[in-house]
Amino acid sequence: MIYGLRHRTTYSYGAEVGFARCVLRLTPATSATQTVLQSALRITPPWASRTDRVGPFGETVTTVIIQTPHRSLQIEATARVEVNAPAIDEFQPSLPWEMVREQTLEGSEMGPLGPAAYLYPTARTRLVDDITDYARSSFAPGRQILEAGLELMRRIHADFVFDSDATEVSTPAGEAFLARRGVCQDFAHIMIAGLKGLGLPAAYVSGYLRTIPPAGQPRLEGADATHAWVSLWCGDALGWIGFDPTNAVLAQNDHIVLATGRDYSDVAPIEGIILAPEGQTLKVQVDVIPEPEPAKADANLMVVR
Amino acid sequence: MAGEAARAWQKNREDLPPSAAKRLSSWLRNYRSFAGIPDELFDKMGYPREYWLRFLGEFADFPEAEAEDRFSIATRHIRDTGVTYRVYGEENERSWPLSPLPLILSDQEWSQIAAGVEQRANLMEALLQDFYGPGSLVADGALPAAAITGSPDFIRALQGAPAPGGRFLQIYAADLGRGPDGRWWVLDDRTQAPSGAGYALENRLVLSRAFPNIYNSMNVRRLAPFFDEMRRGLAAGADRDDPRICLLTPGSFSETYFEQAHLARYLGFLLVEGEDLVVRNGRVYVRTIAGLKRADVILRRVDADFVDPLELNGASRLGVPGLLEAIRQGGVAVLNMPGSGVLESKSLQGFLPKLCRRLLGEDLKMPNVATWWCGQPNERALVERNLESLVLAPAFNNPGLGSLAKPTLVGDLPPEERARLLRRLADRPGDFVGQEVVRLSTTPVLRGGELAAAPFVLRVYAAATPDGMKIMPGGFCRTSDHPDVRAISMDENAQTADVWVIADKPVDRVTLLASKDDVRVRRILGHLPSRAADNLFWLGRYLERAEATLRLVRGLCTTLLGPGPGAESAHQSLALLKSLLIEWDVLDEDSADAEVLEAARNTLHDATASGSVIRLVQAARDTAAKTRERLSGDFWVLLLKLENALAENARHVPSEVEMLRQADDALQVLSSLSGLAQENMNRGAGWRFHDMGRRIERGINICRFARTFATRDATVDNLDMMLDLADSQITYRARYLVGLAATPVRDMVVLDPFNPRSLAFQLVTLKEHLAILPSLQDDGIMEPPRRILVALAAHVETMDAEPLEAEDLLGFEHALMDLSSAVSDRFFLQGANATPQAKLGGLG
Repeated sequence: MIYGLRHRTTYSYGAEVGFARCVLRLTPATSATQTVLQSALRITPPWASRTDRVGPFGETVTTVIIQTPHRSLQIEATARVEVNAPAIDEFQPSLPWEMVREQTLEGSEMGPLGPAAYLYPTARTRLVDDITDYARSSFAPGRQILEAGLELMRRIHADFVFDSDATEVSTPAGEAFLARRGVCQDFAHIMIAGLKGLGLPAAYVSGYLRTIPPAGQPRLEGADATHAWVSLWCGDALGWIGFDPTNAVLAQNDHIVLATGRDYSDVAPIEGIILAPEGQTLKVQVDVIPEPEPAKADANLMVVR
Repeated sequence: MAGEAARAWQKNREDLPPSAAKRLSSWLRNYRSFAGIPDELFDKMGYPREYWLRFLGEFADFPEAEAEDRFSIATRHIRDTGVTYRVYGEENERSWPLSPLPLILSDQEWSQIAAGVEQRANLMEALLQDFYGPGSLVADGALPAAAITGSPDFIRALQGAPAPGGRFLQIYAADLGRGPDGRWWVLDDRTQAPSGAGYALENRLVLSRAFPNIYNSMNVRRLAPFFDEMRRGLAAGADRDDPRICLLTPGSFSETYFEQAHLARYLGFLLVEGEDLVVRNGRVYVRTIAGLKRADVILRRVDADFVDPLELNGASRLGVPGLLEAIRQGGVAVLNMPGSGVLESKSLQGFLPKLCRRLLGEDLKMPNVATWWCGQPNERALVERNLESLVLAPAFNNPGLGSLAKPTLVGDLPPEERARLLRRLADRPGDFVGQEVVRLSTTPVLRGGELAAAPFVLRVYAAATPDGMKIMPGGFCRTSDHPDVRAISMDENAQTADVWVIADKPVDRVTLLASKDDVRVRRILGHLPSRAADNLFWLGRYLERAEATLRLVRGLCTTLLGPGPGAESAHQSLALLKSLLIEWDVLDEDSADAEVLEAARNTLHDATASGSVIRLVQAARDTAAKTRERLSGDFWVLLLKLENALAENARHVPSEVEMLRQADDALQVLSSLSGLAQENMNRGAGWRFHDMGRRIERGINICRFARTFATRDATVDNLDMMLDLADSQITYRARYLVGLAATPVRDMVVLDPFNPRSLAFQLVTLKEHLAILPSLQDDGIMEPPRRILVALAAHVETMDAEPLEAEDLLGFEHALMDLSSAVSDRFFLQGANATPQAKLGGLG
């Protein structure tokens, strides 16, 4: 499936801003299951300098410096991404979860693909006994990790209320857990905190979700949103599998990965420092537009060729 | 007794006067060390060591009172005034009481320690090179990845970044203890930003001044060469000659701020906070009043997680946005490299013997405490089997994330906590290490006039130089008052002791005085950082405002005490005084009718009113605290005295006479402060900013007073008040014998350039300051502050007192306020180079 993505962020300031240094993580990731066909960043006012590098978790990080005085800053990322994830059989056998814990501790991969990077608590995914115990009821001794992970994901979906007013971008897992409500970011942090509490390596994934407009209605421009879910390492053989507790589904062809990290702060799409005395307002517009599948005739043509 | 020790003992006693010999005997007789625990004073045969006897003998020769006096005077001198400006009882300040007895070690003993620490420092460097470079230790399975990734100081963003001068570590420290077998053990490695070297220096200064004869006769190895090496090592990290070296401090709230300030001053480094630095074009600059100046080397005392709010901990206010990018681009040397702290993880300790053989091709010379990382199944099983006899400690230093906070003896825990801890161990074994319980050896301290054995930990420092690691011959020793010799019970409130390494032959006397070839004569001390200029300027303004406010209090009281307090004109003066106090946020509108006495009291002591004297003095003290290393010790002590006296006075029963006395006393202290600033501050830029703050504030106040009391139709009482407020009574009376009249008074306080209290005089002085301060561009065009000032001064110089209107005065006042903002924009904030003030929120 090929998607056209547009992610536009607009900051408006109460006073003129003369200098901004921004760190952007807005270029989708390339991986075994995802290919970035094209991507671009457009920033107004234009940047004075730009550097791109690969960040600590394999993400593309762009640093821009803006020195043109401005009252509004617009950052627009566009991309064409092909997602080609093999279907995951939810009922396939997997390792007992305790074995995954042992493999994680023994592993000899320090980099962003290995599990060791995602084993330890962070500021937003602290170890909280209550969250660990909540997760533990899905992880009976010896249970297979895929089965246990799916159950935990579904329980979070069932037990927590989606409420975009309940939390903020800075809310740690412990608070959202107590409130029993939040948004995708909170559900992901809660699930990660629970898995880490049991010694399992879990990563935070930011990205986009294909949305399907209600029947008979056109897609609304800019009405999509960024999304977040969890990637759980299921052992050497199965590797990383995406669990989306907000929708109680595994992440497959409807999930487009932007960046992966230990928690939100590793993947925040925009971080910046500006010189401004006044407050700021922020508007985010996201479009995720699936391209139509190639027509049958084309497919036939290719076979003929 | 036999052998050398006995002979030394005998000789020592014969050389001593009888009273000293008696004291020494009594000390030794009553000294109780612990069974099975080595002691520094007595060797394992039970004989006192020769060098200890020499020290104690000479020490005993001082009459007890004199020893105490010398010691406490030296301590006070070093700590209060000269070096560190430490103030007792201040919040967050860790004060280490210093023991009058040093820890004494022989050269022979020391050479073992030094060799062990040097090897370990090299091992640490090699580990960092691998972790942030090829990563072969993990890839080859010599070290599990999870033994590293748990450390918050494993900074992935710096993997592959160039280390300045090829080194990650500039300074390394090891905490050592002596085990029951007499060998030295490493208890902890310090690789983040080891503290305490400055205390070691301070302790040495105190002891060598208190007991110069003992110190000089004992061939104590000097510390100064080590610091010289350290400075050389830091400079080697820069890519140009004569680099600007900064010590990056978390600021005056840091518990070791005084140590940092002391080190910076001793080593001649610029003490900076994150706010002082900006990153531009991949390099780091100090914001100074002369614009951006390059920072070549940064000695880092801010933890790695806090050094760059843009890439690391976003909540940090201590760091420099973009610093990591500058490090990656090789535009600055930050030492120790952020990320070095990963080696403080206890998870690594158990692997070190093997890693040392692999990386250095030799065995560890100094063992560390036996440590088992529970992330490995066999080690975990061993720890679980021996839970009662081991310490369970956090494998990584990541407090606040829900892991175990500090080393714990499982056997000591109540059942519930124990069960919780064991569940955690089962869930997340990689978070824990098991460690052998260490028993520390003891060294003598003085307790109640007697010698007592105290457990101690010794911190030893290594500094990297182009010629390899250099070891400080001495260190930072902490002794515990607790009789428990288990290392785990070393409490925070320990004492500290100087560490003397006794050379076999006389040592060279070295200080940091450079040889004369190295020194270029300079009269100006580098470029003043903008933040320091800002603080000094505001310190001046606060002090001057406090003085003006005190004069208003005096005005209130003298009017009350005057011959006709009931008279109409006196009543009017009081009303005007009160209206000024209301304008200055001292009194509120409602209290306009309050008793005058009450108003005077509130003006002095009301801590809820932002313009009261006590609040102004507090503001001055807070501002001074941020730039304490630039103020003389006397200045600081006087300022604190003023604040304390005000607080103390608040309890007195108010009367006109009492209020008057308090205001007079406070005014005296303030004039001492201004005298100190005039006479003792080097006439560098710092002094100019301090003085400009005072002058601008005084000018503003004069305008305001003159608008109120020196109107063209002012009463005699008001003119009299004006002269009081402008402290110009004597000058006036000497010059005009006829009595008070509006025009001469107005001339004297506003326009007369010879009266140091007049507006005109302030402007002349301000012009001198601005003419000397640097401009950003040499295009000959006046910068805004000078532009405002020149216009204002021309206006005032050409004015006559007779036609002077209230609007004119108001105009002068506004021009001075504009001048203050212009100074602040130009010198402190610096437009596009200002301190970042806001963070962009990122939304998902």
